[in-house]
Amino acid sequence: MVLPLSDTPFAKLDRGYHAIEKALNYVAAAFLFSLMLLGCAEVLMRKLFNSPIHGQADLVEIMIPTMGFFGLAYCQRLAGHVRMELLIHRLKGRALWIFEFCGNFATLAIVAVMIFGTWENFLNAWLLGDSSMDAEIPVWPPKLIIVLGFCLLFIRCTISFFGYIRLIRHPDAEPIGVPISPTVADIAESEAEVARDAIKDDIDETRIKGSGQ
Amino acid sequence: MMIEPITVGLIGLGCLAILVVIGMQVAYAGALVGLMGIVVTIGARRVRDTGDFWDILEKGWEPGLKNAGTIPFSELAHYSLSVLPMFILIGYMAFHARLTQGAFYCMRMWFGHLPGGLAIATVFATAAFAAVSGASTATAAVFSRIAIPEMLRYGYPPGFSAGVVAAGGTLASLIPPSGILVIYAIIVEESVGKLLMAGFIPGILSAIIYAGSIMVRVKLNPELAGDPIGKVTMKERFASMSQMWGILFVVAIIMGGVYSGWMTPTESGAIGAFVVFMLALKNGMNKDQFLSGLAESAKTAVMIITIIWGILILVRFLGFSDLPNVIKDEITSLGWNRYWILLIILLMYAVLGMFMDAIGMLLLTLPLVQPLVIALGFDPIWFGIIVVKMVEICLITPPIGLNCFVVAGVRPDIPLGSIFKGIWWFFICDVLTVALFVAFPNIVLWLPNNMLGR
Repeated sequence: MVLPLSDTPFAKLDRGYHAIEKALNYVAAAFLFSLMLLGCAEVLMRKLFNSPIHGQADLVEIMIPTMGFFGLAYCQRLAGHVRMELLIHRLKGRALWIFEFCGNFATLAIVAVMIFGTWENFLNAWLLGDSSMDAEIPVWPPKLIIVLGFCLLFIRCTISFFGYIRLIRHPDAEPIGVPISPTVADIAESEAEVARDAIKDDIDETRIKGSGQ
Repeated sequence: MMIEPITVGLIGLGCLAILVVIGMQVAYAGALVGLMGIVVTIGARRVRDTGDFWDILEKGWEPGLKNAGTIPFSELAHYSLSVLPMFILIGYMAFHARLTQGAFYCMRMWFGHLPGGLAIATVFATAAFAAVSGASTATAAVFSRIAIPEMLRYGYPPGFSAGVVAAGGTLASLIPPSGILVIYAIIVEESVGKLLMAGFIPGILSAIIYAGSIMVRVKLNPELAGDPIGKVTMKERFASMSQMWGILFVVAIIMGGVYSGWMTPTESGAIGAFVVFMLALKNGMNKDQFLSGLAESAKTAVMIITIIWGILILVRFLGFSDLPNVIKDEITSLGWNRYWILLIILLMYAVLGMFMDAIGMLLLTLPLVQPLVIALGFDPIWFGIIVVKMVEICLITPPIGLNCFVVAGVRPDIPLGSIFKGIWWFFICDVLTVALFVAFPNIVLWLPNNMLGR
């Protein structure tokens, strides 16, 4: 997805922050890929060499929240989270931005509260030196990443907060700094694009091979 | 006056409905209502009779916040969840592994000679591809690229061809690896392996019913079928199987690994993803495609992980409020026949599906519906398959009918209206299939009940 190319400082801030989000999403992706490699390695070691990787299950468990919070703000910016668009997609102009503003404000509130809630949880783990069941891996790092993920999401929602205020004042301006929910047609188009990218000229090949003519 | 937890529960549900309708993300709406609910129920318990609202908030705030703050870690750090990212990765990599073409080519060889043969081949090829993909829309998209041109070339009507692909795409959610079945398993705390097994036979059966309906329709209206394809020998058929080995290998790993208990679902998923990844590399996936596939996989995984912790905060609150139990008791005390109640639940899903996507709909409703269904004596594994099938029906019916939109997105020359017209026979098939599962639950339960692992 291409973010608005406008030259205003606000658009630059949005793009700059998105670059950070994107990089962190790649960190999440790296965790995802290592999860795959870890799974393969475990099977290999356990079944072929009869020596399971010590603490593999603990590591897998810790990787899920880690992955989930590194990519949190990125997913928010690209409107990747599940929502019901029934009403939103029927609204236009100022009314739309007012509703989006309210939703975003409520999100800001819950995220702010969760920062404190998860911070307490991290602090406990840090002070008591909690660790995982089997391999005794310390659990404070993933708990800290959760707090960090919420903080990054908070900053993202704050940018959107100002973005929505700007749009409520000038409803016809180009939307900057706010996630735009894809319509059903948009989702269909992006799926189609991936399919086009993956399957280019192969159709003819199938034809020749399969037609028996 | 003391505030009853059940009142808090009901008010919470009302607030949740409003937040979701105004378009707040389901994950955050669930977390917000859940957190406030936890705070108020804990506060009300501590304050007892002197129930001033601010007093309750003050007393409940600290412990409520601490309680909710543990959920993102404690509820996400579960081994069973780790299978989801693996399945998502398989789905994105499968795009580039050329498995679609192979599946269609092979099925065309085997079923092309039947009346409506290319349409039947498409249905079975989507079923085969479903074994490496858990996403209906993605399956519909790739087959729109591969199967529709071929059907049109042989003179099949465009709306019919598009309908076959849109309906075939829905098979991906039942045949493992299926993301939505894993999500169901996690939310209702059932075995992921059992649900994956349970989806297999219903998925294949749905495909067979689709294929049967195509044959019947072609018999009734021969114009639906295009020209017959050229003669194919048995030898060619078996030779075409070589195009399928990638898919067969992944099926063997995932089904075999989970069925025998030799590997965990996560490990099966990891090896499956690795195989598909290698195939994609072999078939010329470039660096950009790899990176964007990986980033998209991460984004999808994050989306699902987020909605899971959000909803689990809500679930903890609902548990505090005792609402699921009260609803269960109220409805079971009506003394109605349980199949009537099931019918009402299924109709509710059909209506909800018009407004919401599958994951949001399941996560918002299951915490309340699941205890009721179990109290009525239905099997939770069986109900998972029924619900997922219902969700899939929503993917092909207006007004959302996402699969139809996806097909129209790939083939702008086929109008959406004609795709919806081409789909309604498959809709009837799906309703019949659900009825069949209700009448004979063993179709669903036989495989999971006989699996060796766990």
